[in-house]
Amino acid sequence: MPWSGGVLGLADVGFVAGRKKPIVLAIMGPQNAGKTTLLGAWYLLLGRGAIPDDLRFSGSCSLAGWEAIASSLRWEPGAKPPSFPPHTSSRGTRAPGLLHLAFKRGMDHRRDYVMTDAPGEWFRKWAVNRDAAAAEGARWAAENADVFFLVADREALAGGERGAARTHIRLLARRLADDLRGRPVALVWTKADIPIQEDTEDAVRSAVLQVIPRAKEFAVSIMSESDGGGTGQGLVELLRWVLHVRRPALRLPDPAGDNLDPLFIFAAR
Amino acid sequence: MVAPDKAILLIGESDVGKSHYGGQLLKRLMQEDGQLRMKGAATNLEPFEAVMACLDAGLSADHTPFTTYHESRWPIVDNEEQQADLIWPDYGGEQIKNIVDDRRLPQVWLNRITQSSAWLLLIRLQKIRTDDDVFSRPLASLKGRVTETWDAGLSDQARLIELMQVLTYIWSTANGHSGRLPPLVVLLTCWDEMESPGKPIDELRQRLPMFGDFIVSNWKEPSVLGLSALGRALDKRQPDKDYIAQGSERFGFVVLEDGRPSSDLTHPIRRLIAAAS
Repeated sequence: MPWSGGVLGLADVGFVAGRKKPIVLAIMGPQNAGKTTLLGAWYLLLGRGAIPDDLRFSGSCSLAGWEAIASSLRWEPGAKPPSFPPHTSSRGTRAPGLLHLAFKRGMDHRRDYVMTDAPGEWFRKWAVNRDAAAAEGARWAAENADVFFLVADREALAGGERGAARTHIRLLARRLADDLRGRPVALVWTKADIPIQEDTEDAVRSAVLQVIPRAKEFAVSIMSESDGGGTGQGLVELLRWVLHVRRPALRLPDPAGDNLDPLFIFAAR
Repeated sequence: MVAPDKAILLIGESDVGKSHYGGQLLKRLMQEDGQLRMKGAATNLEPFEAVMACLDAGLSADHTPFTTYHESRWPIVDNEEQQADLIWPDYGGEQIKNIVDDRRLPQVWLNRITQSSAWLLLIRLQKIRTDDDVFSRPLASLKGRVTETWDAGLSDQARLIELMQVLTYIWSTANGHSGRLPPLVVLLTCWDEMESPGKPIDELRQRLPMFGDFIVSNWKEPSVLGLSALGRALDKRQPDKDYIAQGSERFGFVVLEDGRPSSDLTHPIRRLIAAAS
């Protein structure tokens, strides 16, 4: 079998990309911001049929990888309670772990998505020094992704280190904005159930919007407001936004010619 | 004229009721009152002899040993006198489980998959494990809890999806990547064990929503039916008196797409054969 089921590396992605270039989602944010948890939560919600959409799940080459990150959010038999997934380690690799999902609208129009599960450390180094040796994975993501999440960790922004957390996201936003080429970005507030000071929130928001004015904002948390059968907060909305995101389209110049034959319209001067 | 072969790939893990359905189907074909009936005699019914003997005695059959794989060729004919040879297998369901676990496929299974003309997937929903997670059973706080170890096992739903992905990949590789897959019928077995069930597709969607999406988005007209091969639970030691008195062919039913029961156990096979031709 050409896929192992585990998290994909760059060498494996060819199998997925062979069909059509997948949409790559890069999740950028500091360590412990909840990037892996966000992915795990999405997988669990898909597994529960809790993502209502006209796009339907139609396959994945990394089911074992998804299961591994989602397993810690499950209650194990014997009533061992859920916990957060472990810290994503750098593993000495140069590219992020990639998790694959395919969706279809009806029988046709298959869309492949590849989502990065990368250690926060890479983005910290990349934000400080674009050419940092240890930030190759972050550079890969910045170069190849079609859509970005800039993760703002509300827990860190509410804690004693909030000054550093704020500076970090400001630096990261600037670095990302540097070579964005019109690709869509979402500012994702994770751990939305944790309150933070309004001025901190405003400062982070304006720092991001200043350099990426079109960034869309989402707040997510795996904590549901209702007991049982919940879907957390904002998770469904965020995944649906990603599923329907479009690559920046190539814009042809307005035709200047008066010929009706399409072959000659753009050739006309 | 040589009758065309219809090799049905019967897919089911252990304890979903493959052998019981095989035995009951065979009896129905010989009884000749369904949409399909046996024309003449099958060359070799040995693999199903033990199952049929158990059912005649009102007992449930033993588990098919892990290494066993038998095929039996049944000459069948439908109401319109269309003939076909149905190749029906019986095997230990562990062989299916190992395909996903080991990610390796024995050559014999490779041949079976590539040469199959229709797929019949048996799922026993009551045996599917769904663990609670943070959404179905939230915690007051997860703060500070981080897992030390990784649990790499697949959930039952992911295992089923992976199994079908392996089968579709192998079939498509051998038969050209045309996007067309063999017709599929999903049979939800042991339907009599379910408490106030709805339509089969709704039951599948409720218990295995992601798998349901996978099926619907990859097959043009998948059919999801319910099946109770025996009609009631049989014991291994205590004979069922009704079975002995009336014969096992009086028991068992299929649940059609709209939720209506039908006593014609050949219905799913008729569907597959019609779709495959």
